[in-house]
Amino acid sequence: MTGVRLENISKQFKDSTALEDVSFAVKDGEFVVILGASGSGKSTILRIIAGLEVQTRGHVYIGDMLVDEYEPRDRNIAMVFQSYALYPHLRVYDNIAFALRVRKVPREDDPDRYRRRTREEIDDRVRRAADLLGIGDTLTKKPAELSGGQRQRVALARAIVRDPELFLLDEPLSNLDAKIRSSARLELKRIHEQLKQTFVFVTHDQSEAMTLADRLVVIDHGHLLQFDTPENVLSRPANQFVASFVGSPEMMFLEGRIRAANGGFAFELDPVRISVRGARAPGPVTVGFRPWDLTVAKTAGPGAFPAVVRGIERLGSSDLLFLELQGSGAPGAPAMSGVTVRAMSRAYEYEVGDSAGVTLAPDRALFFGADGDRLDELEGAPAGP
Amino acid sequence: MMPRRRARKWLRLGRRIASHAVLIVAVVFALFPVYFIVITSFSKIPIAAITAQVLVPKVSQLTLGSYQQALSGQYPAFTSLLENSLIFAGSAAAIGMGLAAFTGFALSKFNFPGRRSLVYFILIISLFPSFLLIIPYYFMFAKLGLIDTYPGLIIPYSAGAVVFAGILVKNYMDSIPDDIEEAALMDGLSRTGAFFRVLLPLCYPVLGLAAFLAFVGPYTDYALAHVFITSSAKETLALNLYNIATTDTGASNYGVVTAFAIVMSLPIVVFYMAFQRYIIGGLTLGAVRG
Amino acid sequence: MADLRDHSVGFRFRREWPAYIYLIPTVVVLLFLNAYPIAYTIYISMTDFGTGGRGSLLNYHYIGLTNYYTAFHSGLPTTLTLLENSLFWAGGSVVLFLAVGLGLATVLNQEIRGRAVYRTLILLPWAMPAFITILVWSNMWQYDYGIINEVLATVGIKPVAWLVHADTAWTALFVTNLWLSFPFYTVVFLATMQAIPKDLYEAASIDGAGSFSRFRRITLPYLAPTIIFVGLMGFLFTFNNFYPIYLITSGGPGISTQIFITESYNKAFGSVGASPQLSTAALYSVLDFVIIVAITVVVIWRTDLTRNWLK
Repeated sequence: MTGVRLENISKQFKDSTALEDVSFAVKDGEFVVILGASGSGKSTILRIIAGLEVQTRGHVYIGDMLVDEYEPRDRNIAMVFQSYALYPHLRVYDNIAFALRVRKVPREDDPDRYRRRTREEIDDRVRRAADLLGIGDTLTKKPAELSGGQRQRVALARAIVRDPELFLLDEPLSNLDAKIRSSARLELKRIHEQLKQTFVFVTHDQSEAMTLADRLVVIDHGHLLQFDTPENVLSRPANQFVASFVGSPEMMFLEGRIRAANGGFAFELDPVRISVRGARAPGPVTVGFRPWDLTVAKTAGPGAFPAVVRGIERLGSSDLLFLELQGSGAPGAPAMSGVTVRAMSRAYEYEVGDSAGVTLAPDRALFFGADGDRLDELEGAPAGP
Repeated sequence: MMPRRRARKWLRLGRRIASHAVLIVAVVFALFPVYFIVITSFSKIPIAAITAQVLVPKVSQLTLGSYQQALSGQYPAFTSLLENSLIFAGSAAAIGMGLAAFTGFALSKFNFPGRRSLVYFILIISLFPSFLLIIPYYFMFAKLGLIDTYPGLIIPYSAGAVVFAGILVKNYMDSIPDDIEEAALMDGLSRTGAFFRVLLPLCYPVLGLAAFLAFVGPYTDYALAHVFITSSAKETLALNLYNIATTDTGASNYGVVTAFAIVMSLPIVVFYMAFQRYIIGGLTLGAVRG
Repeated sequence: MADLRDHSVGFRFRREWPAYIYLIPTVVVLLFLNAYPIAYTIYISMTDFGTGGRGSLLNYHYIGLTNYYTAFHSGLPTTLTLLENSLFWAGGSVVLFLAVGLGLATVLNQEIRGRAVYRTLILLPWAMPAFITILVWSNMWQYDYGIINEVLATVGIKPVAWLVHADTAWTALFVTNLWLSFPFYTVVFLATMQAIPKDLYEAASIDGAGSFSRFRRITLPYLAPTIIFVGLMGFLFTFNNFYPIYLITSGGPGISTQIFITESYNKAFGSVGASPQLSTAALYSVLDFVIIVAITVVVIWRTDLTRNWLK
């Protein structure tokens, strides 16, 4: 039972950089999800922790131990592969027992010497792991005879049985049918709670990441963008990329300016005007919001975007409106025409072609600077009278 | 409407008849020599000489005499021939496989400087016809005093096996995903351990195929053995078959030749027929996947 | 403080170096039992080893390209005959293999009763060791008691002296070779055809394609990589297929069915009593190899076969 610490990890492949100065620390017993698109470097992180790849620069610590020079087998880490990588020639039982048979354990009478595990010890542990995952009836089968869900469980059992320091999981749910994927997700969470061990889990699926993670590492093009709890990643994204990558429905962005107003500052995107606390200078900013941060009314009152309903997506509990913003026509105002935003609303009040007014809840708006980073100190408030 | 449908029906029937006709011709062509060999081997020797009479044999004319003569035959004894053939072919298969397994593993799963060049080198080498190596081998082995010795034949036979079997094993290993080996590394094995405990067992089928092919080559080799074996104590089945088949005694020993041929090829035929699907798959791994 | 040491170099060495150990025996084999003998053959082809004259078994000299000069001047007719025969033998056989193999596979690929039985029976000759069946075939082509002449006699055809005339000798060779190889080609093409998705044919039928046009537009393109690969392999194999010619015609009559490889073997170890002409034998070996490599390189270069061979 240990944590993992990555310190300034960089990884160069022959003609590409996979990781650039990545650092983060996973606490003992924590479930950390590494979230990124394919090719972002997320699997490389996992493989570096495992020792299957070695970083070009930086250090990996497991617990307090520097493991840079350790072979995978000396790191006492279990890994679940995306393909499961079950040994096709072995029965399920032998797949699960494999690592137990390979690894020796310290002798009771003399901890400096090692012995093989006895048949009874192995049998006991294999059966307990199989029971935990409900695959007790498949033990005599070959992997090829199993369903996808069963294979995934065997892969998990093969990791659990070893009682490792650390679990690494490389998109273990992505090969499952959509139907069982969500139940497998819950089960994984249950197992983590039961084992109370450290899990590092890689995925490209942000809803999977949100459900599972105690904390979340968001990675893109080899750079760590944010390392925080799912709630914070969602509500306080580090930058525009994280904001648009995480959360569903996706965040929308509109570009405007911060101007001095009434002795303070305000965000202006004609006709919308939001007071901003914490701003120190005027300049261009981007405002980000999600569909539920918008209010739709039949008519565009003051401070609301005039818009036309272009589409309605009925989701059941609430519906999604696709609204095309209309330019205010005011001279010097940004050309908003043609921009489509989505808003949650009771759609039955609207039909395609209706005109409407869209208002943005000021305290929900997020502000991003020109470089894409979120301006943490800025906070929207309703405009003064 | 009606006549057209009827015409199509006749067309289909005609096509079916033509298909069967073609296939029957092919089967007759394929089986006739086999039938001829079998029937001749069971025919009485004087009758076997007049071959046309053999084709539709009477039961009273069938005999095991040819087999008796082939097996109990002349000097050298059949057992000695068989023993030599098994020693040469068996050693070549065993040595060839051992080396091919490591070669395939190294070429498929490792990424070391020079790997590509070595693969190219092996492919080009494998193009050099093994028959043409007999000439230089003869002089090299004569200098080393290896002519008419067991190692003198086992070495070239094994060398031939290593090249093609190495390619066969490499191709097969390429089809095993890397993460199987990585899972074994995570489970606590070294790369060598992962090779022996995981990859090698997965390669048993292809190694079996390669061993079989490496066995059949020397087992039926005449060209090299003819040059390298000078004493009858080391004579092989293949050499002996050649000798009795080409001895100019008219057709009177057809029965013995065919009986000998059947005894010699029976184990090979059984193996081929039992694993035919597998053997064809292994030999065309590159082709069908293409 | 950022760590500036590159950890991956030592790691990569540690993980990859065992390959060299695994490869030692094979590299030894390749060097001493392949590369060196090939070089030695090239060297012998440049000596007067057994060409008569000054050279003898114990005393031979390097004479440069003299043998090659001879082979392409005074010996040119022989060299050309061997080249022509080798190409004819390999090319003709491959054309036969592909035609018969594709034809039978197409017939077998239909829904036809007894398909599995036909397939098994056709495959039988392939299971028998070639050396053994070729010996039997060589007896079957005999003039006096050969079964082929006897069978022809029953339908009133006079016995043919198969191995005495060049045309009939080639016929005997091609028929024997076809018998040896057509099962393999049929089964390989059949397996490839069965891997073609059925809905391609259904879509084509809906578009109004007849069976010939379906064969041309779907089957053939789908089979193309297999045809090229097996065709090349078949060509290379047959170009150096020693036993049919050695055992059935011995290159005769004269050298009208002789190819490089059999002539090379004959020159080196051929006739009892005759002095071995080793430099000539080596020279034919070298020519054989050069032609094979050239053909392979061209085929691989002009198609994408490389994909299959090299990752």
